[in-house]
Amino acid sequence: MEVKIIEKDNVLTAQLTGRLDTAVSQEVSAALQPLVDQADKTLVLDCKELSYISSSGLRIFLTIRKAAAAKGGKVIIRDINNEIRQVFMMTGFLNLFEIQES
Amino acid sequence: MSASFHLSLRNDVQQILLLEEFMERVATAAGLDPAMTMSLNLALEEAVTNVIMYAYPKGTEGPVDIDATLDGGELCFVLSDSGTPFDPTAAPEADISLGVEERPIGGLGIFLVRKIMDQVTYQYTGGRNTLKMLKKI
Repeated sequence: MEVKIIEKDNVLTAQLTGRLDTAVSQEVSAALQPLVDQADKTLVLDCKELSYISSSGLRIFLTIRKAAAAKGGKVIIRDINNEIRQVFMMTGFLNLFEIQES
Repeated sequence: MSASFHLSLRNDVQQILLLEEFMERVATAAGLDPAMTMSLNLALEEAVTNVIMYAYPKGTEGPVDIDATLDGGELCFVLSDSGTPFDPTAAPEADISLGVEERPIGGLGIFLVRKIMDQVTYQYTGGRNTLKMLKKI
């Protein structure tokens, strides 16, 4: 699992590559801390290369979403695959996030 | 056709990485498509994570056993451990209609297991927790 954060024009984009499972969730959570800290900005979770997510990953996404709600920022989830979309549907996450296709 | 598979893990989250390959073996034998494979992998991960995190007292090592049996149109996963008795099926249902502020962080693991599997049953016998998960394929 890889996390790359790019800051441009006051937008923080995190590119997520690989499988976000319980084994890596702690390090991914730590890597995404800048998004929580700067949740007054527009935050983009670029999931184009994210192949899998489990509840430990959903927990991280929700933490970021809550921080944005508290600080007045915005979270956009970009390009989730069909399997991840299914997980979002099952858990009601489709209603919690703005999801975009590029 | 029928086939059975076994995987022995320790209660360490890093062991979750071994589930993908295990699930691939089961999926190949059962002829599952990638979407079904992924959702079963997810249910399995959630159930196993639960055991890894909570079955044994912190700092003690313990086994987590997984058996998968393919029998005709049905796949059965049995998870067993010798940890503290804990019935995950008794956990309250997550309320997925809540908004961002009200939504609790967590509580989705077992919820996903129930959503994905057709039948989930728990038993505690002979000092072992056994979680049986059935999926029609």
